[in-house]
Amino acid sequence: MAEKRKKKLGIKQRYSMLTRGLSWETTYQDMDKVFPYDKFEGIHIHDWEAWEDPFRLTMDAYWKFQSEKEKKLYAVIDSFAQNNGHLGITDARYVNAIKLFLTGISPAEYQAARGFTHVGRQFRGVGPRVACQMQAIDELRHAQTQIHSMSHYNKYFDGLHSGPYMHDRVWYLSVPKSFFDDARTAGPFEFLTSISFAFEYVLTNLLFVPFMSGAAFNGDMATVTFGFSAQSDEARHMTLGLAVIKFMLEQDERNIPIVQRWMDKWFWRGTRLLTLVAMMMDYMLPKRVMSWREAWDIYFTEAGGALFKDLERYGIRPPKYADIATKEAEHLSHQAWHIFYNYTHAAAFHTWVPEKEELDWLSEKYPNTFDKYYRPRLEYLDKEEKAGRRFYNDTLPMLCQVCQIPMGYTEMDDPTTISFQSSEYKGDKYHTCSLGCKDIFDYEPEKYVQAWLPVHQIYQGNCGGPEIEDVLKWYNFNLGADNLDYSGSPDQKLWNEWQAHRKKA
Amino acid sequence: MSYELTIEPIGEVLEVEEGQTILDACLRAGIYIPYQCNHGLCSTCKVDVIEGDVDLGEASPFALMDFERDEGKVLACVCTLESDVVIEADIEEDEDAEYLPITDYTGVVTEITNVTPDVKKVIISLGEDVEFQAGQYIQLSVPGVEGSRAFSIANSPKGAAHIELHIRLVPDGKGTTYVHETLSVDDELSFSAPYGHFFVRKSKDKPMIFIAGGTGLSSPKSMIDELLAEGYSKKLTLFHGVRTKTDLYYQDYFQSLAEKYDNFAYIPALSEKKDGDEWDGEIGYVHEAAERYFDGSFAGHQAYLCGPPPMIEASIRALMKGRLFENDIYCEKFLSKADGAADKRSPLFKRI
Repeated sequence: MAEKRKKKLGIKQRYSMLTRGLSWETTYQDMDKVFPYDKFEGIHIHDWEAWEDPFRLTMDAYWKFQSEKEKKLYAVIDSFAQNNGHLGITDARYVNAIKLFLTGISPAEYQAARGFTHVGRQFRGVGPRVACQMQAIDELRHAQTQIHSMSHYNKYFDGLHSGPYMHDRVWYLSVPKSFFDDARTAGPFEFLTSISFAFEYVLTNLLFVPFMSGAAFNGDMATVTFGFSAQSDEARHMTLGLAVIKFMLEQDERNIPIVQRWMDKWFWRGTRLLTLVAMMMDYMLPKRVMSWREAWDIYFTEAGGALFKDLERYGIRPPKYADIATKEAEHLSHQAWHIFYNYTHAAAFHTWVPEKEELDWLSEKYPNTFDKYYRPRLEYLDKEEKAGRRFYNDTLPMLCQVCQIPMGYTEMDDPTTISFQSSEYKGDKYHTCSLGCKDIFDYEPEKYVQAWLPVHQIYQGNCGGPEIEDVLKWYNFNLGADNLDYSGSPDQKLWNEWQAHRKKA
Repeated sequence: MSYELTIEPIGEVLEVEEGQTILDACLRAGIYIPYQCNHGLCSTCKVDVIEGDVDLGEASPFALMDFERDEGKVLACVCTLESDVVIEADIEEDEDAEYLPITDYTGVVTEITNVTPDVKKVIISLGEDVEFQAGQYIQLSVPGVEGSRAFSIANSPKGAAHIELHIRLVPDGKGTTYVHETLSVDDELSFSAPYGHFFVRKSKDKPMIFIAGGTGLSSPKSMIDELLAEGYSKKLTLFHGVRTKTDLYYQDYFQSLAEKYDNFAYIPALSEKKDGDEWDGEIGYVHEAAERYFDGSFAGHQAYLCGPPPMIEASIRALMKGRLFENDIYCEKFLSKADGAADKRSPLFKRI
């Protein structure tokens, strides 16, 4: 008979031996004054020690890991630049996805860093505080490495020269900006529910997986490498999202309805934000990976379904309007692309009508909707364009007061009717694009009436001047290069020259 | 070709098939190693290899750093074995686990009793003590049937030169059909034991709730016998759910224990009481009986669930609704060979 094994300390015990006693109860000042924000949201915490560290990492080990990741990533970025990696992409149209990412998502990584830095100070429990501080550094690293990975394209292509500046001003970038502004101005528990849970756990695969595999399919190895480098951090972030949800739900039953409302809100806000990714997947990748509909089925319906089934044990139900969001997966990418096609003259990336094989791909991927609603419209636009009547919309759209997306989305059961909601607050009328956004407005109207809506701001004269051209200059656009159709753009001209040169060689 | 995988700090030993990943082998054996992506990209499932040769598989250079490779770290989700291997993983040390070595035994059947129309009590006697923790199970080799069958031990481990099993006839089940139709007293039977992580956590010193479904009574019986004999002072409450009165067994035994010990309560429940059943006890599902008994509030207890998967799930929901969570819930799901892969689950829960 084998001998009984001697017990060893587990990793968890070793970590707690290493880190315990590093926090204390304050005595000169009341703890409520030192940590003024972690109670006002109505979340009751009885035992901060019950927080389970989702990952057990010391700063010493953290730096060691991150420095090696950086070393590897920058080696790839350097070699991508030295070998003229931009010549190896499938088509210059792909770079428009990069433009959208650099101006829309990378500044959001920085926003996340700011948010985690803030809440990393605000929890009286040391476990969540440390977890947030480490994630803050991760997010800062992601913003930096994304900018560095993509900066190579800025040497050759338009629209990449001032991402953060544009992020603060441009109309469609107010969609991601307002999302993070909303999260950062909430309390610390809502911030973690919005970013760590709804965004990093429930929806992140819908952003990163399609984007990174899109980059791989289209020959963009620098971005793919960045993706791998970030994904090894994302796992920690996802675990934090689950840890905070369990912590809140188990600490007090009064937390359950609050957490449910946050899940409803941030699920809906997240799906609205991801419309930009949907459009990228279905329209902007020259070589396509999977359709938005397919990604939604795998990453939300299936993986999210398993999660919400487990959450039911806590008395949590699936997010409100998840059924509508699933119906929208058949429509939104097409509707969003159409909005941008209308306003390409005011965007810092190009649009186009997809080529015939691309339309056929969309017909195949969207058998229920594409041929019926969207293909005829695209073919009509193409015909008009070829006849010299390229349609640009010269009036400014009304924006949703909550998600700030132009109110061009339709009712899902009737895709020829624009979805349109409104609420009265203190004698004024506010418009929202959907029941999901209306609910969010109605619960906290005082917050959303302060929204910085780009169209309102333009009309109020706060954006450079009265003409579209004045506004675009205020956005720091290079007019005639950053904006308008891909067809006829300097990007296209340069790409065609490279291709012709390659043929000769 | 298969290899032996030893998992520290718990000391569990598994057979791993060629090409099978460490993570897959662990999860199939009910050992939870934290993981996320399952594709070598995220590094959540990183473990230390202490002894043996492995193939790192498709571990991403960003998820498994060079310096970590030098230190013997691997990603369990893509790592396969090339020899017998010892790993150390981020598995919580359990103060109450005794980590008893698994041993092969051969004994003689000394009793077969029909305790209900489809459940037999079988006693296998041995010339030596069988070492196990109350609640654990054996892997029984059934003559003429390929593979082994798992059965929980129903007697207390104290001075046990025999083991008691409660075996329900599974329709079309080869193993249980043999036991019910062919096995007879004086037959020899071989088994290995002990297995499983279903044992009482005495060190937490909390009142305990046992919820048993059908022959899921076996483990709780072993646990309760031992706890009462040892003089455990906290309250112990046993709920036993069966369909009809004829499916109920050991009723007299537990009733007399309840009379003898102030800290023990016994509540049987019938889910499909027949008109002829003489019954003034609980009617309905067993988790509903528990909710009524505790007035829907379970906080401060520990719960041990043993029985078929739907009973376990319903009980977990009832307990969580009554504010008792994963850290205080332990379960043993009775799966028969016919139960396929479990539903797709999220990483929200580890054990339940």
